[in-house]
Amino acid sequence: MEEKRASKQCGGVFPFFIGVLASLVIGWWVFPQVIYSQKTQPIDFSHKVHVEGEGMDCESCHTFMEDGSFAGLPSNEQCAECHEDLLGESKAEETYVNEYLNKDVEVPWLVYQYQPDNVYFSHMAHKGFECTDCHPDVGNSDTLPTYYENRISGYSKQTMKMWQCERCHAEVGTSNACYVCHK
Amino acid sequence: MGIDRRTFIQLVTGGVVGSLFTPVIWKSLDDAAIWSQNWSWIPRLKYGQITEQATISKFGPSPCSLMVKSVAGSPYVAKGNADNEMSKGGVDAISAGGAQLLYSPSRVKGPMKKVADGKYESISWDDAEKMLSKKLSAVKGQAGKLAIVSGDATGTSTEVLSAFAAGMGSNDCYLMPGDEQAAAVALENMGGSGQIGYDLENSDFVLLIGADAMNSWGSVVRNQRVYADNRPTGGDIESVYVYAGPFLNSTAAISDKWIPVAPGTGAIFSLGLAYHMLNAGASASVADFADFKTLVMSRFTPDKVEKAIGVAPGVMAGLAKQLMSASAPLVISGSEFGQGAGAVDIIAASALNMLLGRVGEKGGMKLLAELPLAVDSAVSRAELSSRDFAGYLAAVATDKVKAPEVMMAYEANPVYAMPQATTMAAAIAKVPFLVSFSTWMDETASTADLIMPNPHSFERFDDAQTPYGVGTAMLSACAPVIEPLYNGKSTVDVILGVASGLGIDLGYESVEAVLQAKAEKAGADWDSLVEGAAYVSDSTESGSLKFAASVLSKAVIMPKGGEIALAPYAKLNVGSSTMAIPPLNCVTVSKFELQGKDLFVQINGKTAKKLNASEGSKVKLAGAGGECVARVHINEGVMNDVIAAPLGFGHTAWDEFSRGKGDNISKILTVGTEPGTGMAVWTSSFVSVA
Repeated sequence: MEEKRASKQCGGVFPFFIGVLASLVIGWWVFPQVIYSQKTQPIDFSHKVHVEGEGMDCESCHTFMEDGSFAGLPSNEQCAECHEDLLGESKAEETYVNEYLNKDVEVPWLVYQYQPDNVYFSHMAHKGFECTDCHPDVGNSDTLPTYYENRISGYSKQTMKMWQCERCHAEVGTSNACYVCHK
Repeated sequence: MGIDRRTFIQLVTGGVVGSLFTPVIWKSLDDAAIWSQNWSWIPRLKYGQITEQATISKFGPSPCSLMVKSVAGSPYVAKGNADNEMSKGGVDAISAGGAQLLYSPSRVKGPMKKVADGKYESISWDDAEKMLSKKLSAVKGQAGKLAIVSGDATGTSTEVLSAFAAGMGSNDCYLMPGDEQAAAVALENMGGSGQIGYDLENSDFVLLIGADAMNSWGSVVRNQRVYADNRPTGGDIESVYVYAGPFLNSTAAISDKWIPVAPGTGAIFSLGLAYHMLNAGASASVADFADFKTLVMSRFTPDKVEKAIGVAPGVMAGLAKQLMSASAPLVISGSEFGQGAGAVDIIAASALNMLLGRVGEKGGMKLLAELPLAVDSAVSRAELSSRDFAGYLAAVATDKVKAPEVMMAYEANPVYAMPQATTMAAAIAKVPFLVSFSTWMDETASTADLIMPNPHSFERFDDAQTPYGVGTAMLSACAPVIEPLYNGKSTVDVILGVASGLGIDLGYESVEAVLQAKAEKAGADWDSLVEGAAYVSDSTESGSLKFAASVLSKAVIMPKGGEIALAPYAKLNVGSSTMAIPPLNCVTVSKFELQGKDLFVQINGKTAKKLNASEGSKVKLAGAGGECVARVHINEGVMNDVIAAPLGFGHTAWDEFSRGKGDNISKILTVGTEPGTGMAVWTSSFVSVA
């Protein structure tokens, strides 16, 4: 009787730790992989070809309007300034010209850092920062990063969270009042 | 070791404890909170390239040149186009909501024909055009059988319509009433040609008689910009403004001085001023100067003027002195609500400009040259402006003129917006086949036999030539900003097609070709126009004007007094003769103009006492052709024996944002005939109050 009780006490501690361990493994390894679905961009776009090959910079395509508003992604009209016809032999360019430009369909790019609609973000107000302070450094990359979409919220994994905005504002001495970002 | 109940519980407990040290719970809660903000019914922003394109809107009382910002091809905001001389970067309160109006519930989504019980049935454009062609073919070549009315006084589209009417053998092509009609008739009587313009920006003393320049007279948005430029906040005041009118409206409020003058008595006021100027030695080298002087000195003496309009001789003398001592004075006369004034008001104000030596001068009154016609057979702008649609409809109403077999209304809403509205609507109801070329389901479209929707301003080619009131001849044009959202078709394209089928050659095959030809003939660069620039011409008409003393002698009648005068006013936010209250503007309507469904009119305390009315009390106003119900707001900014009443309410069509709200003051306007010119006038409308 005494031996059995001792054995049971030891077995009672072990399952507890197994449970803890399993939770940690699931929580830190499995969960992050499950919560995001992976998506690829519609076209294999190389920033490197444009930056290194053509000497372009971020603002060559991601432009500011005269009034300071940010135009965001380039449209077919802008791309067609160079790509009206095929320039090279890449499959990606051929896909773009044939499937989008010639059919007058804008490319449904997946944007890594769209903010929720209730957030007002001015790129012009943040113009003093490097693009890569907030965005992935894709300028020197031949491929576009995988797009991870949160299965619950629907936002990209790279979408900046409010605490990140607040922390940066606090660090540079900018107001963190609600109306600064939420108009 | 088997898994018994105890083991299981401890395993689970361990799992739960462990999970507290992982992101699972916290991340899930955070994401769930974000998910709750993204339910499908929450409106989403559209993302994409932000672009700007120039356009013109004609929602307000005068054309407005705009820059439309779009995201991924969808317009979302309209702002003023600072590079365009026509509106100098201003934007009126309706045009500002132009992007939202694309989706207005009042839009007509495709051609429709009336079927039984006043209901409408959608039809194809082919069928609609065949139906129209058939009706027109039956009346071709017969005078009096076709009437056309256009609400677009500045567009070449109206030129096409007038040429089409001419090709059909009809002389009945008209513009909706506006100040340009009085100006055109006045100019004709003064022996001038072209279009009267006013160089407001270079004047240092502006006297506005009746003309509510900040809300309804001339190129309103441009007037506002000129005022702001000449009187910058904190800067030097370069131009003095004086307003003479029946109540403290927006123009009076921004003027240096307001002189209360009853509606419809502008000519007496002008000639009263002329008396003082002539007395001070003013003259003009004009053939009928002597007749004019005799008329003024005998009939418009200070005591007679004071008796007629209540302005003290000292006030008149002081104002005359100010005008004569200013470097670049300018006198402008017009209706208090942008329509219905007589030619005599303009003639009398022009007489002041002539006595001041300000005709054809910088900062003065100009005679602008008309831009060449694009369509050879079109009626000239001056002639079209002088035609009297109100007089024509009044004659149809009383059977003095036979109703046309076909009436076409282009960008016009005569069933709602004409004076003595009920009478005029009854006249239109006599027309067997009414066609509405309207973007909106307005009152005219709602009674039409055929609706052929014209695209929204942002969806079409259009242009605007020298709006009435500006100081130089000009032309603006625009191309579509967006593909049509619905099944609309440019009215000009419809007319060109139908004309061709009827054997009428208008010389063009598309609206774009017509507008390009207009630009080319004017000497303007089409591409620049479409990009938002205005073509400006310094060209003016030569020749001198006469005082038209004989017309003045017949047309100026001293008021009897003792009656309650109606002073309608138009406000930009409420709408215009072609637009009802845009949904976004509902919140801008004053509680002193509309509360719930009750319209408010304004009277001063003395008049209220006389009428036995008090704040909020309900009154019934009756004019020659109808009645209106309104509540009273006491406002000491209104003259004695005057009722100030807002136009733009009381719609019976459109949408929930404007239908059934208040009453239509146009119903109680009384159309009369101006002696000497014979044109229909309705600024002197008196009402009985019960």
